[in-house]
Amino acid sequence: MRLSDRSPLTLGVYALAAILALFELAVLWQGLHPQVSDDYRAYYIDRSTTCLPQPVIGAYIVGTKLDLRSGGDDTRELRPCGWDGPAGDGMHSVGETSLLRFELGRPQALNLMLELTGTALPGPATQHVAISANDTPLGTIEVAPDQTDSFTLPIPREAIADDGTLTIRLDYPDAISPGPRTANTYWRSVKLTAASLVAQK
Amino acid sequence: MYQASIDRQQDRPSAFVLLLPLLFVLSGTMIRFLAFRYAQPDADWTNYFGAMCRWDCSWYVSMAQRGYDTFPVPGRVNAGNWAFFPFYPMLVGLIGKLIPLPTIVLASLLSIITAYAAVVVAWPLLGRNIRAYTLYAAFILSGPLSMYFTTFFTEVMFVLLTTLTFVHLSRGNYLGAAGFTALLSATRIVGVFASLSIGVQALLDWRRDTGSWKGWLGGLLAQPRLVLAIFISPLGLFVYVAFLHYWMGDGLAFSHVQRAWGRQISNPGMYLWTGLTSWSTTPGQLLTNSQILALSAVVGLFLTGVLAWRRQWSAAAFALLAIVIPLAAGLASMMRFMAAMAPLTITAATLVARWRWLFVVSLIGLLAGAWFSTLAWFGGNVALV
Repeated sequence: MRLSDRSPLTLGVYALAAILALFELAVLWQGLHPQVSDDYRAYYIDRSTTCLPQPVIGAYIVGTKLDLRSGGDDTRELRPCGWDGPAGDGMHSVGETSLLRFELGRPQALNLMLELTGTALPGPATQHVAISANDTPLGTIEVAPDQTDSFTLPIPREAIADDGTLTIRLDYPDAISPGPRTANTYWRSVKLTAASLVAQK
Repeated sequence: MYQASIDRQQDRPSAFVLLLPLLFVLSGTMIRFLAFRYAQPDADWTNYFGAMCRWDCSWYVSMAQRGYDTFPVPGRVNAGNWAFFPFYPMLVGLIGKLIPLPTIVLASLLSIITAYAAVVVAWPLLGRNIRAYTLYAAFILSGPLSMYFTTFFTEVMFVLLTTLTFVHLSRGNYLGAAGFTALLSATRIVGVFASLSIGVQALLDWRRDTGSWKGWLGGLLAQPRLVLAIFISPLGLFVYVAFLHYWMGDGLAFSHVQRAWGRQISNPGMYLWTGLTSWSTTPGQLLTNSQILALSAVVGLFLTGVLAWRRQWSAAAFALLAIVIPLAAGLASMMRFMAAMAPLTITAATLVARWRWLFVVSLIGLLAGAWFSTLAWFGGNVALV
């Protein structure tokens, strides 16, 4: 079979090839134009975050002090992303951002307490942790390697959503790569051993 | 790797060729089963197939049972199963609808049958040489890496389809090769590179038939079967991309999800060098896992060089891309990837089979190696992942 044959079969084969080519071009175009959520795009495609929020319930009673070490409280429903554990020395941050999510029922002024230990991996003298509540910056704290400290930050009532949803974001600008050519989704910064939200007096 | 004969009668396997691999099916199953009993003496013997199912195998089992993850992944992890190509797990899932066996048992039995078929169809590519054929059969069915071909990994289907592609290609049957390449491109991501082999082979055939490179493009485009073959061959990949776009809105999710495994794209040579120079700090340990994986890639590249030396450019192009592209994402699973490169393992078998003494030593080594590597498999040796 050759092009010069000009038989219906030959032309049919070329037509089929053209249809396949068009299909493949259309699929390629679709592949290059994903229709996905912002979270999906940020984590998988743009790689602008290491923290892909997973759905969690966030149930929490204000005033409860959470133990995040192994054998402590079950905090799975409060941790959308950016945590690895629990281990004996707490919940390890993984990546450059971690989230905690709380469903409080109603907005109220709170004090956030975080007990953190700096990673012992070789790196900067201190780990800076920028903390925000629903995108409202609360401040930046410094955590020393292998040293546990407790930090308390006030959260204004306005920072909490009308339905009582509160997402605490911890950013780690000094996160340390645990090895050569290790993706930033595996970098380490701090270990969270305890956390609480207490109503302001 | 040899060329298949145009005369199919010449390549027709004899009763001996059909029966010999069955011997290795038996020996392989026996060696792996005894290693299982030795490694896990308290385990229920009926859980043999389940115990052999390690690492990615469990992903394939869940895919055969439940299909592809939606987003967000129900298990609330970043690693969705979109990274795994559909053809073999979905085939097992489909057959599982008809045959009511536990998925891992069914998949293992299908893998053994597929591995047997992969050996038999390789007969012409092994030059119809009984020593090379014996070594190849032993390697696939009863060798140190036979667990990849007899549990639930896509590698066994990859080997069968690659072999069928090159058998058809060496007979000048572009459409047949394209049909198998289409399935290959839906089996593992590197399968799509066999499309390039079809193009390379067509070009070489053109050069051979006309004695010149002049007018090659027009000459190739004037062959309707070849043109159709070129567009059929990557069809499996494109269908998977279309499915992912429909399923979750991202046709390239199989690539994007690699981020969840921390895969870093880098210079393949750098990965290779880092692996080769990762010396052991443990007394008595000869090679580190990184060195073993890097050496697997080096052996693969050497055998690719042999293919190029023999001017088997279509197979060499396929092998080179199928080594270098995964290597750009690191050394992980390199041994498994190399074991499933049929053009390379077939070439290795033909090389080793040249000398009777080497054949005997290699055969014994393969069978004995199966025992130790199966124990390492149960021990969780990372080089085997």
